[in-house]
Amino acid sequence: MGGLLENVLNAVAAGLIIGCLYGLMCIGLGLIFGIMNVVNFAQGELLMLGMYVSLYLVSGFAAIGFLGPYAAPFVAALIAGPVLFGGGALLHRFLLRHVSGLSTASRLDQGGFGQLIVTLGISLILQNGGLILFGSTPASVRTPLSAKAFIIGPFAGDTMLFLNQARVYACVVAIVIAVALWLVMERTRLGKSLRAAADNPIAATYMGIDVDRAYRIAFGLGSAITAIAGGLMATYLSFTPFVGLDYVIIMYSGVVLGGMGSILGAFWGGLLVGFVQQVSALVLSPQLQNAAIFVVFLLIVGLRPQGLFGRSAERA
Amino acid sequence: MLEVRDLSVSYGGLRALHGVSLSVKPGRFVTVVGPNGAGKTTLFKAICGVVVPGSGEVMWDGAPLLAQPAAKRAHLGIAHVPEGRQVFRTLTVRENLEMGAYPRSGRERWAHTLDRIHTLFPILAERAHQLAGTLSGGEQQMLAIGRGLACAPRLLMLDEPSMGLAPAVAETIFERVAQIHKEDGVAILLVEQRVAEALELSDHGYVLETGHVVLDGPYQTLLADDRVRRSYLGMGEEA
Amino acid sequence: MRVGGAARLRRDTVALAIVSVLYVALASLVHNSYYQLILTLVPIWAVVGLGWNLFSGMSGLVSFGHASFFGIGAYTVTLALVYWHLTPWLGIPLGMIIGGIAAVLIGLPTFRLRGHYFALAMLAYPLAMLYVLQYLGFQEIPLPMHREHPALFLQFAQPFYSTLVAMGLFIAAMVAAMLVENSRFGLALLAIKQNELAAEAAGLDTKRWKMLALTASGAISAAAGGLYACVLLVVTPDSVFGVIVSAQALVVTLFGGVATVWGPVIGAAVLIPLAETLNARLGDIVPGIQGVIYGVAIIGIMLAAPEGLFWTLRDRFWRRAPAPEVIEERASSLAVLVKEGTLLEVSGLSKSFGGLRAVQDVCFSVAGGEILGIIGPNGAGKTTLFNLLNGVLPADAGSARFDGRELRGLKVHEVARLGVGRTFQVVRSFPRLSLLDNVIVGGYGAGLGDRAAAAAAEAALEAVGLGDRAARPAGELTNKELRLMELARALAGRPRLLLLDETLAGLGREECDDLLAVLRELRAAGMTIVIIEHTMHAMLRLADRFLVLDHGAVLAEGLPKDVVEDRAVIEAYLGTKFLAQHHNSADLHA
Repeated sequence: MGGLLENVLNAVAAGLIIGCLYGLMCIGLGLIFGIMNVVNFAQGELLMLGMYVSLYLVSGFAAIGFLGPYAAPFVAALIAGPVLFGGGALLHRFLLRHVSGLSTASRLDQGGFGQLIVTLGISLILQNGGLILFGSTPASVRTPLSAKAFIIGPFAGDTMLFLNQARVYACVVAIVIAVALWLVMERTRLGKSLRAAADNPIAATYMGIDVDRAYRIAFGLGSAITAIAGGLMATYLSFTPFVGLDYVIIMYSGVVLGGMGSILGAFWGGLLVGFVQQVSALVLSPQLQNAAIFVVFLLIVGLRPQGLFGRSAERA
Repeated sequence: MLEVRDLSVSYGGLRALHGVSLSVKPGRFVTVVGPNGAGKTTLFKAICGVVVPGSGEVMWDGAPLLAQPAAKRAHLGIAHVPEGRQVFRTLTVRENLEMGAYPRSGRERWAHTLDRIHTLFPILAERAHQLAGTLSGGEQQMLAIGRGLACAPRLLMLDEPSMGLAPAVAETIFERVAQIHKEDGVAILLVEQRVAEALELSDHGYVLETGHVVLDGPYQTLLADDRVRRSYLGMGEEA
Repeated sequence: MRVGGAARLRRDTVALAIVSVLYVALASLVHNSYYQLILTLVPIWAVVGLGWNLFSGMSGLVSFGHASFFGIGAYTVTLALVYWHLTPWLGIPLGMIIGGIAAVLIGLPTFRLRGHYFALAMLAYPLAMLYVLQYLGFQEIPLPMHREHPALFLQFAQPFYSTLVAMGLFIAAMVAAMLVENSRFGLALLAIKQNELAAEAAGLDTKRWKMLALTASGAISAAAGGLYACVLLVVTPDSVFGVIVSAQALVVTLFGGVATVWGPVIGAAVLIPLAETLNARLGDIVPGIQGVIYGVAIIGIMLAAPEGLFWTLRDRFWRRAPAPEVIEERASSLAVLVKEGTLLEVSGLSKSFGGLRAVQDVCFSVAGGEILGIIGPNGAGKTTLFNLLNGVLPADAGSARFDGRELRGLKVHEVARLGVGRTFQVVRSFPRLSLLDNVIVGGYGAGLGDRAAAAAAEAALEAVGLGDRAARPAGELTNKELRLMELARALAGRPRLLLLDETLAGLGREECDDLLAVLRELRAAGMTIVIIEHTMHAMLRLADRFLVLDHGAVLAEGLPKDVVEDRAVIEAYLGTKFLAQHHNSADLHA
């Protein structure tokens, strides 16, 4: 019995920790989706770029090496944010603005299609460009923390809880970033103007908000957040330029579950996906863990088409 | 201050405005009346840059306005209270007002204008933290007007503020608009279907019918003219 | 086959024959087995694109999950061959059946979702299947070799024969897609894409059509998957259920052009060789460069031709109206049985949105052969009233009886089938389809057969005075003609009652008069009409009676000239003050 309890508790703890990281990752996509109504297939590649930027900052530059193997990976992950913010903003400026937002509102009905192809193309370019630049050897940003665990217990007999330290710290950083972003969106003029542009772009224009710029910032911010999540996840898993493929689906599940357009919702959706994935490991083989995510996904979406936290406005 | 010259707008094959000219001088109250489909909303959208005119010119303070991007125009002191209110439903009342104060002019006078808006519409202070989507139609209209005022504009453009409102509520809205005009010295450009209330407040009125200005003049002249009546009720057409 | 599509079908058939012959001739000259493989893959991916296009391109519901069907086809053929030694000649049809069944099972829950939710939910199915297959241990299954019976097991020593088989499948899929495109099925899907609500109002059972489209689409994609397995001789979950497969279906179609059978063909013909050649030429030198170039290529084309190559090229080089078509069957005139007495009886109808009472306790009746004008200021609840009548919105209370039958609780298309036609404030048309095709949709909605629907559409166009323009694409019409076309679309369903929502909006004086003349003729032919309109001068000349709504309630009812002198009405329209100002002049008019 003790063994079972221990397994369950460990799976729950791992689920919550991984879930927070997934939650952060989903917020990035949720921002882009919620504000611009763009289905971004390249979001997984932004995650991948976050991982590699983080890797090169740690191993390639002495600049942050002095922080030591403990702090450097986390600082690097945070730096990946601004780097990818710039990248995302450029992608929007030169590619996406031509196929999304106000520029397509006047077109008959095909606007949605163009945007899909363009993000698919970006995804292909980044994946394969990554392959050229980074090679296909699995890499990872190792810190000594990956091999250490916080041990809680023993309690209730001999039950012990093992928490991977790298993951715990990554999780804490993820929560801090998520809260910070939430505060930005709720409290600052910038955040409010982004929400206004999402709510009613035409009225936002009447207010003097440059909606195109708002979209560019949203895309940059969404890219940055997912990249930070990537940098954090890089501390505990190994990755290749194709890692985005595995996660883009998870991101979409999380965002749809949370209710598109809601930032908090995206976080909870991601958390739920991570939780289901880890906890299902108790009873399912590894291959079926992801299948379990989709079963839960289809169930929830079937029962509550507007997502767990979404408003039903989109159904009309 | 605002000068529209010979403006024409087409959607696809349909011409919504044909050579419309009008002008608004500082501190004046100008009304455009006309039945549905006459092109009133299109006129507003063209002034605000959401619709691109086929020909004609719009001057603001003597400079061409059409060259300015749409988002820039609010920063020049033109506020638009759109048809159907168009409040940000998922933002709170206060946040809506803050968005109205997005241009620099609004931010600089924020404390003062917020006070003023709350004096005009006390309900907005009461509901400050409620989502705008949960307000009633009248309250949303007040919010939309307040949001327009928040940028401390020199010209306030109002598109059918009485639409869908109960007569008593519409009455209040008109009173407030008159108050804004008198006490704050803001120039008003109003589109309305409640002809009498609108024209009564105004210094000058234009009657728009199927994209043309068919009549313009001071309010007494317009009210006395049968064409106003006819364009709405069709009276006298066959009589 | 619908009548209007005959000419295009003939044209496309000829084009298909020429393309196929040239393609096979080209393939017969290729001896390099790698290039031959590319030539085999082009038609296979074209078929996948055709399948995707049949559903997503035509209906507008984007599916990110067509790999489900492709994979099901591939695994059915493979497993049937492994376990039962079943020839692919039977395995592929079996895969199509299973693919079709899967489409129904997937469609049932997923059609409840809309927009992006639908698209993303579709993404989950192939991935769930992928993981399940991995779990079941079907990682990499080579197809057992049966070289002794190459034709029976599609394992030819000469790869050219594989290309022939792929072309056979391609031609079959093309013919199917062309038939759909030129049938009521295709038109119904386009109608759904344009405006699902209007399609239902025209009497189409949109759920059924969407399900049918997904099933057909699933079966076609499964066939392509099955053949793909036979050609590559090995299947893995990733190669047939992966995101890439779903993406490929999308890319090939969008690149070539949505909602035309030629879109996927052009897309596959350009992109597959491009991708494969890049792979072979550059893939070994700089791994990944092929993906980069491919990505740049699809982005570039998309930015240059956002609607796909087919439409962009056609619009640039082919801008001519389709040849006029002759329809042998002359239509009977729009005979409407005038029903004596009350046709529509509405009592106590109410609807609230949150706190707002949009329609409150509305009662009125419409006699057969009458024109009732509904007027009222903006936001008075007029359109909501129509929405309650034809089932777009459920009423909170009250009843609406049409010819003795209760309308409340009926679905939109059921109301339409009873004989209630409706137009909308905003005209929606299919700009690239001919006027006749635009109108035929209305006839299908009423459950008419192909010829009858074409005849009804012809008659309807005749009735509104557009008979001579039937073959012109709707994109060339003026605003007035569009309004007339929408009227014709409602008429093609042979309604007994027409609900017209702002049919005169945005028309000039003379255009308005033309439309009034048409409406008067309809009444003379026995049609009963309820019309919402703001243009008062027109209404005064048209309507027999007025019903005035304000704030959702009936403010006045009666003869037009009485209603416009009614104080309450003037007040609602022009305000209390107008009344006070004009007290004297109003008396004069009275």
